[in-house]
Amino acid sequence: MSDHASHSSGAGHVSPISLYITIFAALMVLTAVTVGAAFVDLGQFNFSVAMLIAGFKASLVVWYFMHVKYQSHLTKLTLATGMFFLAILLGMMLIDYTSKDFTAMPKGTDPTSEMGAPAAH
Amino acid sequence: MSSTVANADHGHAHAHAHHPALQHHFDTMAQQKEAAVIGMWVFLLTEILFFGGLFVAYMIYRIWYFDAFAEASRSLSLFWGGLNTAVLIGSSLTMAMAVRGAQTNKRKATVNWLILTMILGAVFLGVKVIEYADKFEHHHVPGPSFVWAAEHEAPAAGAAPAEHRQLSLTPEQLQQTTQLYFSLYFTMTGLHALHMIIGIGIMLVITWMAHKGRFDEQYFTPVEMAGLYWHFVDIVWIFLFPLLYLVERHT
Repeated sequence: MSDHASHSSGAGHVSPISLYITIFAALMVLTAVTVGAAFVDLGQFNFSVAMLIAGFKASLVVWYFMHVKYQSHLTKLTLATGMFFLAILLGMMLIDYTSKDFTAMPKGTDPTSEMGAPAAH
Repeated sequence: MSSTVANADHGHAHAHAHHPALQHHFDTMAQQKEAAVIGMWVFLLTEILFFGGLFVAYMIYRIWYFDAFAEASRSLSLFWGGLNTAVLIGSSLTMAMAVRGAQTNKRKATVNWLILTMILGAVFLGVKVIEYADKFEHHHVPGPSFVWAAEHEAPAAGAAPAEHRQLSLTPEQLQQTTQLYFSLYFTMTGLHALHMIIGIGIMLVITWMAHKGRFDEQYFTPVEMAGLYWHFVDIVWIFLFPLLYLVERHT
């Protein structure tokens, strides 16, 4: 199978059907796991677990369904660059919002404030 | 000018040695495909960061108004959400099979897998219509007619006692903050659904091209690119499902 996927051939790597079925089954099982985990009280870790499972599922899709495993280093690097900037977008923003004292919530919606009623327009 | 013509003639003289789909500015089919794959991934990265902005907005409001997000999230149907997740994962499998059919030059299989993928995509959108209709019925659509009231909650999945759920937010605050959740819900799922509609449109064209025999095992780039797009849409949903449907189900 791997000889067939030499660079001179335009077809690229042809994955066996059994691999696709396995990935599909894994994705379905992980979906069931993430639903099940949501019903277990893990405290603050519920979110982390859900995101870890989703991240793993996404990796399976990217790696096998989207054939990144068989692509060039340049393609992999392109994807890694995007992940890097996504990490900056999410990470820096969350650091900012969780480390600073943003007690002033949008007007009239602060749940801790007595002025909780929606601001009149 | 004349040198351009001469070059074109020169290229043409060798053309019959090449695949007809090989464009003159590429040396080999592999190089041409590599360029397409990288180009597609660059596009998908812009899409990832596009949705990433929405995820940031979601994260911040979820941190600020977690109780409202948990409350509103529980009003979504886990059945429809779970079913759609399965349907979309299934459509990713059929899409991978369609690309495989193209790789192995099985025209009929490619067409059939593409059609099945489109059907699954349509099923997903159909379920979304049911869910959206339910939101309109319950006044859970942000805007002047938005109403958040405890009695509107379907106590489907073993709902917790109402007293417990209202500990931190007054009804007025819930009215305001659950609306934020539903604004994000409709923006994110709506944008995702729009991508699916575009994806189905692309697949209609690709299926027609495949049916006409435009592809072989040397050239099937459009099928593969449509596949990358469809899998990306699947990945977005893989994150949207736990973020929107599973905020806090255990209480």
